[in-house]
Amino acid sequence: MANLLLLKRRIKAAGNVSKTTKAMQMIAVSKLKKAQDATFAGRPYVEKLSSISQNVLGKLNNESLHVYMKKNDSKNNLVIILAPDKGLCGGLITNLIRRIVSFNNENKNNLYLTVGKKVESTITNLGAELIASFKFGSTLPSFNMVLPIAQIIDEYFLSRKVGTVKIISTNFTSIFSQKPVITDLLPIDLSQIESSSFSLFEPLADELLPPLLRHYLEMTIYQHLLESYASEQGAKMVAMQNATDNALEIVQDLQLEYNKGRQEKITNEILDIGSAAFTFAYE
Amino acid sequence: MNLLFEIITPEKVIYKDEVNEITAPTVTGEITILPNHVNLLTQITPGELIVKKGNNLQHLAVTGGFLEIQNNKVSVLAEYAIKAQDIEVARATEAKKRAEKVMSEKSTDNELRVAQAEMIKAILELKIATKHKKRAV
Repeated sequence: MANLLLLKRRIKAAGNVSKTTKAMQMIAVSKLKKAQDATFAGRPYVEKLSSISQNVLGKLNNESLHVYMKKNDSKNNLVIILAPDKGLCGGLITNLIRRIVSFNNENKNNLYLTVGKKVESTITNLGAELIASFKFGSTLPSFNMVLPIAQIIDEYFLSRKVGTVKIISTNFTSIFSQKPVITDLLPIDLSQIESSSFSLFEPLADELLPPLLRHYLEMTIYQHLLESYASEQGAKMVAMQNATDNALEIVQDLQLEYNKGRQEKITNEILDIGSAAFTFAYE
Repeated sequence: MNLLFEIITPEKVIYKDEVNEITAPTVTGEITILPNHVNLLTQITPGELIVKKGNNLQHLAVTGGFLEIQNNKVSVLAEYAIKAQDIEVARATEAKKRAEKVMSEKSTDNELRVAQAEMIKAILELKIATKHKKRAV
């Protein structure tokens, strides 16, 4: 009897879990839709911007290089990490952290800037220097998040405290696949630039470049934020779907066991009554 | 010979079509682009962008961004753009009031910068919306 009550309680618990995870799944689905739209919509803009930037750069001679393109001899790296605030999104964070750790082992002298609470402690555990950390938030990242990050990048890169700026984030390829990637942000790589096809600049290329590159920098960071957000929601949706499926499976198994136990109890009672009646009949 | 014209913002591609003529506000003054224009890169300022296709004029509000012309393909990269007929006057008025409030209070540099951008956007939207309404009447 006690055993049956216990089973009943466990069935209820698993049922509740499945309800919670199902709700979280639905939330992730609706957020994912928005995130996916924003991410895909942002891609053509960033691609165009990068092609324009490269085109302008091709027009410049070495003397008029912009500060964002100049290499300096500082051996420090500024690493910006974009990660979710909360867990419950499958292997996403584990993969990201693994990538960070391997990066930290390969490269020395790293300064970190994190967005998202989940990786903050990882950086401190690594014994690396954390210069700033921001919250990622649970809604679609707004462009305003980029400004303080860009400010810090400027402060460190322009004063030559760091030689390179990199971003570690997750790239949203599809709902089922999000890969951690490392992107070089600064200095802007000059090796891939083709020659320029523009014949006219208004104002002159030298004046046009600073706002263009600044905008390019901000938009690239923003696009990475969007990709990370979409990845988080995608991973969360899949993880919660799996959790719901597992919980329902447990409910089914327990229900089966409970039914068996109940049947056994009834059979035993009938046997009792039967044997008692049998004894009376012979007296 | 036509121009292939597109306006891309971070949110979406606002406009993509073959057109005859484009008038855009740039930092060095308003320019009109006709087919076979020389390849050009320029910075645009907040203002009104007019696209002419056949006898049709399409008015758009754009905030700052960049414009490139490459072999009769014109692309505008704008932080924000909206077609004149899509402007919601009530919403723009509201946004302007909100921005004014933030600017009158003691705010951080960041908040001010955002409010200022909102303000420019709202004023521009209102200006183009009213101008357009008069024309329609």
